[in-house]
Amino acid sequence: MNVFKSVFILSAIVLLQGCGGNLIKNKDTSQESAKSETLAVNKATAPNQATTNLTVSDTKDILGYWVGMFKPDKNAGYISTGEEDAWNFENKINLSIDQIDNDQVKGHSVVAGNDRPFAGKLTKDGKIFHFSVKEPGDDKYDGAFDFYIIQGDSTLTGTWKANNKINIPNRHYNLKKTIFRYDPNVELDKGNRYIDWVKNKKVSPNDRQYRAAYDVSYFTTTYDLYKYNPSDSLLTVEQVSNLKKADLFILRNSIYARHGYSFKNQQLRAYFDREPWYIPISTDVKSELTDIEKKNIELLMRYEKNAKEYYDVFGRG
Amino acid sequence: MEIAANLYLNKIWRIVWYAFLVFFSYLMLLITLQYIPLRTDVAFLRVKEEIADKLYYRVAFFSHVYTGMFILLAGMLQLPAYIRARFPAFHTWCGRVYAYGIILVTGPAGLIMGFYANGGWISKIAFCLLAFLWVAFTYKGVAAAISRNLVVHQNWMYRSYALTLSAISLRLWKWVIVLLFEPRPMDAYHIVSWLGWVGNLLIVEFYIYVRSRERFFGSQSVIPQG
Repeated sequence: MNVFKSVFILSAIVLLQGCGGNLIKNKDTSQESAKSETLAVNKATAPNQATTNLTVSDTKDILGYWVGMFKPDKNAGYISTGEEDAWNFENKINLSIDQIDNDQVKGHSVVAGNDRPFAGKLTKDGKIFHFSVKEPGDDKYDGAFDFYIIQGDSTLTGTWKANNKINIPNRHYNLKKTIFRYDPNVELDKGNRYIDWVKNKKVSPNDRQYRAAYDVSYFTTTYDLYKYNPSDSLLTVEQVSNLKKADLFILRNSIYARHGYSFKNQQLRAYFDREPWYIPISTDVKSELTDIEKKNIELLMRYEKNAKEYYDVFGRG
Repeated sequence: MEIAANLYLNKIWRIVWYAFLVFFSYLMLLITLQYIPLRTDVAFLRVKEEIADKLYYRVAFFSHVYTGMFILLAGMLQLPAYIRARFPAFHTWCGRVYAYGIILVTGPAGLIMGFYANGGWISKIAFCLLAFLWVAFTYKGVAAAISRNLVVHQNWMYRSYALTLSAISLRLWKWVIVLLFEPRPMDAYHIVSWLGWVGNLLIVEFYIYVRSRERFFGSQSVIPQG
C-alpha cells in the first residue's frame, strides 16, 4: 500500500511540474518556499533558463533580469531566406531592474547592442506593480518604458515608445525573470542555421508572400559547427583549417554570445536571439573571456581572415 | 589550303597559350608582391604561424617565392622556337637561370615547404613528390642538353615546365573547385595538392607522345609546336 501511495504522490508532483511550465500565472503565495528551491536548482543545472516558476510577491523579487522578445507593435515585415523566416524585426531584450527605493526605480536595458540606463517611478495599485521609466534621451533610440507586474504572477508586460521618429517607434513585450550564469558548455541549437541574407546572393525574387530563396551555399553554417565548442576546449589548427567561413564566424561569435554579448550586427543578433540560452547582458564582454576563449578567438580570426581573403580567389589555401 | 588553315589555327592556339601564360604569371607576380617588403604576417604565412618563425622555414619560403617568379618567366622565354633559333646564347643563359634556380634554390626550398605543408600527410606527400620530381626532371633536361641530345632535352624540360606551371594550375584548380562545389577549405587543398601537378604531367606526356608520333609519321596535328 505504501508503495502505491508514494507512486501516486510522485506522479502527482511530476504532473504538476509538467503542467507548470508557462501556466504558473496566478500561482498563490503558498508555494513561496518551493520557489527559492527551484531557483537554486536552476542556478546549478540549467543556466540562463527563464525561471518560469518564479512568482513575484514583493519588490525584492522584481530585481534582476527580465528577458524576452522586444516586438514591434505594427508588423514591420520580415526577412525570409526561403528556408525559414530569418528575422521579423524582433530583438531579445534584457530589461534589468537594478534598484527599487520606495517609489524610485533604476535599471538598464540591453537590446540590439545598445545598453541604456533608465529611471522612473513605481506605483502599486492593488496587486499591480506599475512602472513608468525613461531613458536619458541623449541617444537616437531612447524612449520610455511602461510596464507592470501583477503580484503573484511571473510575467513583466509592457510597452515602449521612442522619443524620436525611428523606423519602429512602438514596441511591446512579455518578459520572464531570468538568471544568468556563464556556462562554457552550453551548445548551439542544431536546428538553428545561420544564413547571411546580405552576403548570400538572392537567387529568386520575392514572391507574393515575400519569400526569397537564397544561394545559401556561400555563407551559411554547416553541421561542422557543432563539432567543436570554442569555450570549453582549445581548438587545434587541424580542426579550424578545414572549417568554412560561416562556421568559423559563428564559432567565434558563440564565445561572445555565451557571455551575453549584445550584438549590433542584425544577422548575428537574429541568429543568437533564437538560442534559448542566450541573454543579452552587456555590450562589452572582453574582460569576461577565459584564456581558452581568448586563444580560440585569435586562432578563429586568423582563419576567418584567411577564408575571407583567399577561399574563393586565385591563390593558395 | 589545308596546311595553311592548320598553320593559321596553330598561330591562334599559340597566341591563346602565351596570353594565358602572361596573364597568370601576372597574377603570380601580384601574389609575390604581397611579400614585398619581406613580411611574415600576411597571406599564406598567416596560416603557417606554427612554423613561420623558424629561420630555415623562412629562408625556404622566401627563396621559393622570390626565385619562383624568375623561374616562371625564364621558363616561358625558353618556349618560343623563334628565340631558340635566333638567340641560342640567350636560350642557354636563360636555361641556366631556370635550371640552376630550380635545382639549387626553389626545388630544395619546395621540398622543405612540402615537408611542413598544411593538411597532413596527403598534401605533404604531394608537395614533396612534386618538389623531388621537379628537380629530377630539370636535372635530366640539363644532362641531356649538355650531351646535346636535344629531343630528349626538350621532352624533360617540357615535363619540368609542366611542374613549374603547377604554381598556376594548383591555384586555378582551387578557384574552379571552390566555384563549383564550395568544399571545405582543407578538402579543397588536398585535392589540388595532387590535381595541381598530376594533371599538368598527364597533359604534357600526351603532348610529348603526339609530337613523337609526328616526328615519325609527319605533321597532321594542330597542336602548337613550341
